[in-house]
Amino acid sequence: MNKELLKKSQSLIALFVLCLAISLLSDKFLTANNLWNVLRQISVNVCISVGMTLVVLTAGIDLSVGSVLAFTSAVCAGLLKNGIALESFDLFIGFTTLGGILAALLIGLLIGVFNGWVITRFSLPPFVVTLAMLTVARGATMLYTQGMPISNLGTSFEYIGSGWLIGIPVPVWISLIVVLIVVFISKKTTFGRYIYAIGGNEKAAFLSGININSIKLAVYGIAGLMAAVGGVLVSSRLNSAQPNAGTSYELDSIAAVVIGGTSLSGGIGSVTGTVIGATIIGVLNNGLVLLNVSPFWQQVVKGLVILLAVIIDQKSKKK
Amino acid sequence: MKKGIFIVILLVLGYNSIYFKKLSEVRNQQQTSFDFKTFADSLYYQGILKSNNAVELSQLSALVQSNPDSAFKAYGNRLGIGNSAYFMVKGEGKVIEKQASGLKVVTDTHTILMVDTKYIFGNAIRDASGLVKLTDFKTNADFNKLSEALNNVIREKAIPEDLKAINVGDKITLSGATKLSKTQDKSTTLSILPIRISKTE
Repeated sequence: MNKELLKKSQSLIALFVLCLAISLLSDKFLTANNLWNVLRQISVNVCISVGMTLVVLTAGIDLSVGSVLAFTSAVCAGLLKNGIALESFDLFIGFTTLGGILAALLIGLLIGVFNGWVITRFSLPPFVVTLAMLTVARGATMLYTQGMPISNLGTSFEYIGSGWLIGIPVPVWISLIVVLIVVFISKKTTFGRYIYAIGGNEKAAFLSGININSIKLAVYGIAGLMAAVGGVLVSSRLNSAQPNAGTSYELDSIAAVVIGGTSLSGGIGSVTGTVIGATIIGVLNNGLVLLNVSPFWQQVVKGLVILLAVIIDQKSKKK
Repeated sequence: MKKGIFIVILLVLGYNSIYFKKLSEVRNQQQTSFDFKTFADSLYYQGILKSNNAVELSQLSALVQSNPDSAFKAYGNRLGIGNSAYFMVKGEGKVIEKQASGLKVVTDTHTILMVDTKYIFGNAIRDASGLVKLTDFKTNADFNKLSEALNNVIREKAIPEDLKAINVGDKITLSGATKLSKTQDKSTTLSILPIRISKTE
């Protein structure tokens, strides 16, 4: 019983030890400003990672989230700044902040659903399909932005990424709401149970009457939607959409999922574990910066932590 | 019933998401608002090029190594607090590589300069110039628009003209903006966003 509890809490213990170590090494770590900053920084990864968790729970993977983030962020910025000009009708369609955000979310959702459709329709490995989408979405971002940032998106849009609400940064509120919704979906709904069932044993799930294709379609759709939420957060925080935004975010989100205890072979894991995983990565990044560790070493350390998490995952599965 | 609620939600969201205007009116409105392009043109040609606030690169490097606080106070420009500041620098060097994105230049003191001629973005030139400040503009967004317009003038007009005559092996003089940090590794290659490059021989 105690061993089981220890196993379940291993990421939380790792986070606690990490925080303790960094706070002993740097007096700046446990300041309110720094902690808010860490939370603000991890909120993007949290949003992307909770979507990724659902995908990984079905034994899939989505490598396109970073590029989808960039594309949706660019489209959102482009619509906010330039709207749509219909020359032949002498008509200008302008987008409010809400309109730009909704358009970005819709596009993210559609890209995710498309990924899911290709994977299920043609029985292709998710790794390959989403790798292709990674390139397509990045290319589309470059085409849409012409390789240049789209800046000055307005103060109300900027507020989403930089503002405060009841003493807490707005991105933290957004990621908290996203986490609560996805935790509810994964734990309290039939859809959530189906996700675990598919990841645990796809054949058994199929034989028990679960419509695997539609569940996968929805799961990849949610991952795309979450990437779009991340895109809105990133561009609003910078008040600008950068064509190279989100590069390697897919790796950070997969790392958060794995460190959080979700098995890459599906069926085991939780969204709360992923949130802890994303926090570990955020705290690790912040700690390494505070300790003046070279950025090159930071990458090495992050890679080793991910490797360690996968080894622990494999060992516990063998047991 | 459910369908009805869904349609109402869609209509409310749609009403609050988009608006329609005559395209010609929007274009007229854009023309009568503050002309960042003209302002950036004048800031570049009448202000930045004529002001004599660029510091010799060798002099700055020596001072940053020996007394960074003094170097940052005397020559650095920054909007907020922090360890980094923008500097307007000038110097001479030899072009050792001409790339699509810029020039690789070595100075007489063997410092390697990466002169970006294609990707001129950000606020480095605006801030290093020290000629405009945030309070001159109504909003942060307007202040950033100036950077965008200024970068456009340099990237699209000034630098392509300068670059035409420059080849590998040429000696050049250049001035431009660079960002330095008190904590950065002094041996790293220095990245410069140019405001003028000219061939000296």
